[in-house]
Amino acid sequence: MKNRKKATPWLYSLPAFLLIGIVIVFPILYTAYISLTNMNLYHWNDFHLIGLENYKRALLKADSGFLSAIGTTLLWTAVNMGVQLFLAYFIALGLNAEGLKLKRVYKTLLMFPWAMPAYVSILLWKVCMFNSEFGLLNKVVTALGGTKLNYLSENVPAFLACTVLNLWMALPFMIMMIDGALQSIDASLYESAMMEGAGFWQKSIFITLPCIRPIIAPSAIMTAFTTFKQFDIIYLLTKQKGSLTGASIQTIITYAHENAFVSNNYGLSSAVSILIFGIIILFSVFTNRGLKEENS
Amino acid sequence: MRKRKIRQALSLISLNTVFLALCFITLVPVLYAFLLSVSDGSSAFAGGGGPRSFTLENYRRIITEEPFLLWLKNSVVLSLGTMVLAMGFATTASYAFSRYRFKGRMKILFLLVLLNAFPQILSMFAIFRLFKTFGLLDSNAGLMIVYAGSMCIFSIWNLKGYFDTIPMEIEEASKIDGASDFTMLVKIVLPLARPAIIVTGVMVLIFVWNEYLFATTFLLNGDKYTLAGGLYQLQANDYSRSWSLFTAAAVLVSIPILIIFFCIQKYMVSGLTAGGVKG
Repeated sequence: MKNRKKATPWLYSLPAFLLIGIVIVFPILYTAYISLTNMNLYHWNDFHLIGLENYKRALLKADSGFLSAIGTTLLWTAVNMGVQLFLAYFIALGLNAEGLKLKRVYKTLLMFPWAMPAYVSILLWKVCMFNSEFGLLNKVVTALGGTKLNYLSENVPAFLACTVLNLWMALPFMIMMIDGALQSIDASLYESAMMEGAGFWQKSIFITLPCIRPIIAPSAIMTAFTTFKQFDIIYLLTKQKGSLTGASIQTIITYAHENAFVSNNYGLSSAVSILIFGIIILFSVFTNRGLKEENS
Repeated sequence: MRKRKIRQALSLISLNTVFLALCFITLVPVLYAFLLSVSDGSSAFAGGGGPRSFTLENYRRIITEEPFLLWLKNSVVLSLGTMVLAMGFATTASYAFSRYRFKGRMKILFLLVLLNAFPQILSMFAIFRLFKTFGLLDSNAGLMIVYAGSMCIFSIWNLKGYFDTIPMEIEEASKIDGASDFTMLVKIVLPLARPAIIVTGVMVLIFVWNEYLFATTFLLNGDKYTLAGGLYQLQANDYSRSWSLFTAAAVLVSIPILIIFFCIQKYMVSGLTAGGVKG
């Protein structure tokens, strides 16, 4: 009887663990194993262990492209998070302004991009906005008398295009988060600040920001991870199979994907995957500790 | 006093203008896509002015000339199947983690978060090889396993977080009445946890509905394609001809998701953050 009781939770969890074992644990272990071999197009079945060669190649040889991909990823995450938090803060403040009667309407409309299926949004932007022949952006540009621009053919414009699209897709969530956090602030804090004659910036720096920081920190960190791991936007806009646009932005995720599915460098791709896994775990431990300290 | 009122009114007007502009900018891509979908292809892409004549021709063509209904059926089967599989497994597991205290409980919960850090895209290659060995490529069952497994950790954490908030006393009372563990789970805990189960289930549903990468990599046969896979293909094919079709398909695919989203909108924020993990 007692043994049966002990086994019950495991029995309940067994199906889920089986699934997780197949889809998550096995791929990680297998990837770790392949990262130590020379598996590639020419050694699809007769690959053998080569030690840490792949890791050396990724980390020590500048021409492997991994180090610059890390740089691009960090820049991408920093730019997106910075702009996103900044814009979302002011938009949420605006939404909470006294006397704004249409607040609910604005909120619903601004939520729209969040509700759209992500791949549909990306493809719609690619086809309807950025396309150099038929896209709306170039229609506006030519209507204003400019010459057609090619948004996705070079790295810098393509990076900006990806950033704009990412902002469009990710801002709604951040706005709602900050909006929720703003409503939890005690109004009496502002009243006493008004009495002291504090202006907008002083209220922001000394009341609003410190109050909302602990509330939005978890979702901001979550968004930072999603941005860091962002694949769809860059892949669908610039490097779809058969329709490369010319830009060669490479974040670490697209780098790993390309080495596996385009250039068939499975060993290298696996090594990079394990490195990415390590980086993400390191970040999570780091941010978790930060969050805990802030709360205590 | 009056001066202040005028100033306040002026700032409200300018704030409203800013928000109207903001909403407009937000909706422009969607509105433009919609306009393209209801105008005939030749005038829409002719340049110069915008779309001119109103027509539902693109919608008729996407439904009758492309295998849209087949894709729709595949998507519905796949997403419902995945939802049942993932929710069935995750509910029992999260119940165990919420209600029983056993050795290694916290360690496993922590390990699950850690495992979740591995980006799903990077495991595609390993799963591809595994499925090739076991003949699971190009099958709905294979994709269901992948999708359910990918959403399992998220679902377990999310549901466990909610189960933890349901007081144990209710269950203890029914235990005295002689109910077994399983009947208790089905008859008492599940109805109480309905909001969490709905939100988690819908998240799984939306995830599968929107997934294109595994669908296009693992399904080699065109007539197994889901909406996401089909749409991706439509867009990747020869473009100027199929673009107006593509925008019509995009509108059709997005509508159910938009409806679901705005129905559960108020749970969205809390539903996503309660568990603290997201893909």
